[in-house]
Amino acid sequence: MTGAPVLDFQRLLPDKVALITGSGSGQGRAAAQLFADHGARVVVVDINDEGAAETVQLLEEHGGEGMALHADVSSRPDVDRMVAAAVERYGRLDVLYNNAAVQMSGRLVDCTEEDWDLTIATNLSAIFWACRAALPHLLEDGGGSIINTASTLGLIGSEGYAAYGAAKAGLVLLTKQLAVEYGPAVRANVIAPGSIDTPRFRKVLEKTPGAEQFVDGLRRTIPVGRLGRAEDVAAIALFLASDQSAYVSGAVVPADGGLAALR
Amino acid sequence: MTIPGVAIVTGGAAGLGEAIAHRLADEGAAVVVADVDAAGARRVAEALTRSGATAAAVPCDVTRGADVEQATQVAAGLGPIRVLVCSAAVESRQSVIECTDEEWQRVLDVDLKGPFLCMRAAIPHMVANGGGSVVAMGSTLGLIVAPGHPAYCAAKGGLVNLCKQAAIEHAGDNVRINVVAPSATDTGLFIRFSAEAPDPEALRRRIADLNPMHRLGTAREVCDAVVFLASDAASYTSGCVIPIDGALAARRM
Repeated sequence: MTGAPVLDFQRLLPDKVALITGSGSGQGRAAAQLFADHGARVVVVDINDEGAAETVQLLEEHGGEGMALHADVSSRPDVDRMVAAAVERYGRLDVLYNNAAVQMSGRLVDCTEEDWDLTIATNLSAIFWACRAALPHLLEDGGGSIINTASTLGLIGSEGYAAYGAAKAGLVLLTKQLAVEYGPAVRANVIAPGSIDTPRFRKVLEKTPGAEQFVDGLRRTIPVGRLGRAEDVAAIALFLASDQSAYVSGAVVPADGGLAALR
Repeated sequence: MTIPGVAIVTGGAAGLGEAIAHRLADEGAAVVVADVDAAGARRVAEALTRSGATAAAVPCDVTRGADVEQATQVAAGLGPIRVLVCSAAVESRQSVIECTDEEWQRVLDVDLKGPFLCMRAAIPHMVANGGGSVVAMGSTLGLIVAPGHPAYCAAKGGLVNLCKQAAIEHAGDNVRINVVAPSATDTGLFIRFSAEAPDPEALRRRIADLNPMHRLGTAREVCDAVVFLASDAASYTSGCVIPIDGALAARRM
């Protein structure tokens, strides 16, 4: 006997309550759908109400359960309200998946103080606020899993992402702190996505001159030979949310087709 | 004369920053001592001047863009800015659940936004002058974690990546950006912290025993690394992190 939990791989999150920020589209939405398919009740948080409502509708069409919740995670009161509303609705919280982020590019010497502050608030402080608010509930409800979305750019240096890279690297260390401070009850891990083909990625691409060549070049640098899909990231998130990863904490799991390994 | 030109040292009024200011002056740099402690900065600058160096003190809260700009202007007035040492920092010892908004923000502002603002102000001068070197004071806790320092770890971890970003962005400008990551040294923040313990000597011994060398680092050892990175001896070294920790991080990474 190993003492490892016996798992139903068709239903990895039975009756769990999972809060996912930025789940009105893209990676967050894919995770919300997958989590719901595996039995979780999902709190779908987004700054975009329409997107959040649409995600909930998608869950329900598949027989899942969820609620849409408005929050701007760069605002601390919004983050506190978000956690409180989730617990009020479902009476517990088991998984906190901090996925929302802003991606502002810019070289260090061109980065304005406003852009710096917004990037640090949304991509780093927001996660601290959410964890601080959620931890008492996670601990009270017999433990839980925190999943934080960093980035390849939080692991390696790059050009033109000064504030973003700093925030994401800070998030990696914050997550390790969480793992050390709140284990064994709470596990905390990082997903570090590379280039993921999401609506947001497409939007950035629209503004990029020579977008097709850019994507081709990008693809050539990725060992797996393609951009990531939102579903690729969601599969990792499901692993980290569920007891499949019962012995994994403080880890950084790249979702990047081998990009960071190459670099 | 390994360091010609002007060096800005933030947090230069005490502890490691003060030691670095003295060492850079010994190596031939004109030193701008920038610190939120205006009297302390003045005291250090006066000591440097007495020892025959060129030095100036600037009251500087690194979280305020206007203060940073002022320090940069004073430095530019002394000559070409070649070196920026981002040494100003605050520590925090509150767990995630205990950490207040104010404490979180203060640590992130001083330890992460401060170096950003200082680099943003100084690097264009270095580019215009044909090159330069930025040395940021990281920490063992920017590489590995210990319980009870969420804000500090987040800030120092972010700082490492910020410096790598800047290193890549200015690789073509002959401006190098590196990080030194000291563990506890027998100076500055750590001495103040350990002095508050019921048995300071026992705490220092316990902390020293955490690392494979079983001793605390010294200010001189940190200064040695700063001088190396600031000088042309490190002309092919950029975007790197040098731990000065008696192999502490090696055991944990």
